[in-house]
Amino acid sequence: MSALGGPKQTGGIQPPTGTGLVVSIVLIIIALALAFFLVQMAGLIALIGIIIGGVLIGFGVHFVPVGGAPAAMGQAPGIATGVAMLAAGAGLAGLFGGAWAVPLGIPVALAGGAVGGGLLMAITCTMVNVIYVFGMGIPAASGKVAKDPITGDTFPEYKSQGTEGHGLPFISWVGGVIGGALGGFGGTLIYIELLEVYQAQLPALLGATVEQIAPVAVSLAGIFAIGMFLMNAVLAAYNITGTIEGPHDPKFKRFPRAVIAAAAASAVAGIFAIALSGLLGVF
Amino acid sequence: MEEIVFGIGITALAGALATVAGAAEDTESDIGSQGDPNSQVQLAPQMGYIHRIFNKAIAGEPPAYGLWVALGAGLAWAFMAMHINPILAIVLGSALAVFVQGVYATTAYLGRTASLAKFGQPVYIDILKSMTTVTMAHAFIAIFATVAMCHLMISALGHPFPLPLLGLVWGIALGAAGSATGNPFYGKERQYQEQKFGAGVPISASGNIVRYAEAGQRNSLDNGFFSAKLGGPASGVCFGLIVFFELWRTVVFEPFAAGWGAVVIGVVVILVFAVIDRYIEVWARKTFGPYTVPEEASS
Repeated sequence: MSALGGPKQTGGIQPPTGTGLVVSIVLIIIALALAFFLVQMAGLIALIGIIIGGVLIGFGVHFVPVGGAPAAMGQAPGIATGVAMLAAGAGLAGLFGGAWAVPLGIPVALAGGAVGGGLLMAITCTMVNVIYVFGMGIPAASGKVAKDPITGDTFPEYKSQGTEGHGLPFISWVGGVIGGALGGFGGTLIYIELLEVYQAQLPALLGATVEQIAPVAVSLAGIFAIGMFLMNAVLAAYNITGTIEGPHDPKFKRFPRAVIAAAAASAVAGIFAIALSGLLGVF
Repeated sequence: MEEIVFGIGITALAGALATVAGAAEDTESDIGSQGDPNSQVQLAPQMGYIHRIFNKAIAGEPPAYGLWVALGAGLAWAFMAMHINPILAIVLGSALAVFVQGVYATTAYLGRTASLAKFGQPVYIDILKSMTTVTMAHAFIAIFATVAMCHLMISALGHPFPLPLLGLVWGIALGAAGSATGNPFYGKERQYQEQKFGAGVPISASGNIVRYAEAGQRNSLDNGFFSAKLGGPASGVCFGLIVFFELWRTVVFEPFAAGWGAVVIGVVVILVFAVIDRYIEVWARKTFGPYTVPEEASS
C-alpha cells in the first residue's frame, strides 16, 4: 500500500484494450485518408510527421520526474509541479529554439528543439536539487527503487520517516532531460510539418507571396504546435495519474497506452490543422 | 562581429529580465499559495486548523502565467500596432493583464475559502484587500519583465514568432521554472517550519501548517517575506539561466557548422549541469548522512 494512503497504485504494465486499439487505428486511418484526399501526398506526409511528433511528446512526458503537491512538502521525490505543465514548459522552450532554427534546415531545427527542451529540464532539475540540498538540507532519495540504476547510490537509509522519498535522484535528472528533449523534438516536428503545409497553401488562398503570408503561417503553425503539445502532455498525464519518478518508476511501463492515445489524438487534431486552410477557402 | 556583440548584450539583458521575472513570479505565487502547497492551505481548515493564509490557486502557475503573459504581450502588440512607443506599450499591456490577475485572485480566494465554510474557515476581507494588491504588484513585475524579454527576442534577435505567441511560450516556461524551484521551499520550509529541518514532512503531519507568527497570526505577507530570501531568487536564477543559455548558444554559436554549433554547445551545457547536479547530490549525501530518527525533545 502507498504510504500516502488512497487507492493502491497499479504500477505494472497496463496494456491497451482491444477496443481502444481498434478505434485508435480506425481513427488514424480515416485521418490519413482525409489528409491524402484534401492535400494529396504533402498532406499525408505532414500528418505522419504530426503523429510521430505527438507520439514523441506523449512518450517523453513519462520520463519527466513529477512529484506534484507531495514533492512540495518533501513527501515524495520529483519536481513539485504538474506533469503536463512541466513537460509543456520544457517542450515549448524547445519549440522556441526549433522554430528559430528552421531556416537552417530541418535536422538542425529538430536537434535545436530537442536540445532546447533538454536544457530547460537540465537547469530546472539542478535548481530543484539546489533548493532541496542548500535550502532544506534534504538529500535525494527515491521511493520506488532501492538503488539508483545509473550511479548505484542506495536510497532507503536516506529516506525520511513517514515519506515516500524526496529530492531528485540522478536517474530522475536524466529522465527529465530525456523527456524535455523528446518533447522539444516532437513539438518542433509538428511545427515544421504544419508550417510547410501553410506555406504551400496560404499564398494561393490569400493571393499573396510566401513572404507576405509568413507571419500568418508561423503564427498558425506555432499556436497549433502549442495546442497539440498540451493535448498530448495532458493525455500522458492522465495515463500517469499523479506522480512519476522517471524511467525507473514502475508506472513508466504504462507508456504503450499513452503512445496509442497520443497517435490517435494527434491524427484527429492534425487533420483539423491541415484542413484549416481548405476550410478557409470554402468560407 | 559587431552583430554578435550586440546579440550577446541583448542575451545578457534578456537573462537579467528573466531573473527578475522568475523571482517576482515565485514570490507572487507563494503569497497567493498558488503552487502545489495550496493543497495544504486548503486542507488545513478541514483538519481543524483555521488560518489567515491567502489562497488564490485555481490553476497551476504555468497556465496562469501563460495566460497573463500572453495577455500582456497581446495587448502590448496591439498598442505597438497603434504606433505607441514599445516601452509604454509593454507597460500598458502588462498593467491591463495585471487587472485580470487581480480579478482572478479575488474570485479564486473568495471561491476557495467560501467552500471551506462548513469547516468554520472565515473569509477575511482584510486579507483579500491587503494580499491581492501585493500579488498584483509582484505579478506586474513578472509580466512586464517577461513581455519586455519577449519583445527583445523579436525586435533585436529576430525570432519569427509574433509577440503574443512568444508570451504564451515563455509565460508557461516561467511558471514551470518558478513552481518547480520555488514550491518545495515554500511548501516544506515555510508552511511546515516547525517540522524538523533536513527531513521531509511526514505524511501524518499533513494539514498542520504553521499559523502563528512572531506576533499574532501569520498571513501571506510573512510568507512572501520568507520566500523572497531563497525560493524567489533561486527561481529567478533558474529562469534566468534557461533564457540566457537558450539565447546565448543560438546567438553566438549558430553561425558555426551551419547551425550545428548551437546544438553542440547546448549538449555541452546540459553535460555541465549534469556534473553540477551530481556534485550537489554526492555532497548532500556525504555532508548530511543517512536519515536518523529525531530524539524526542525533553522539556
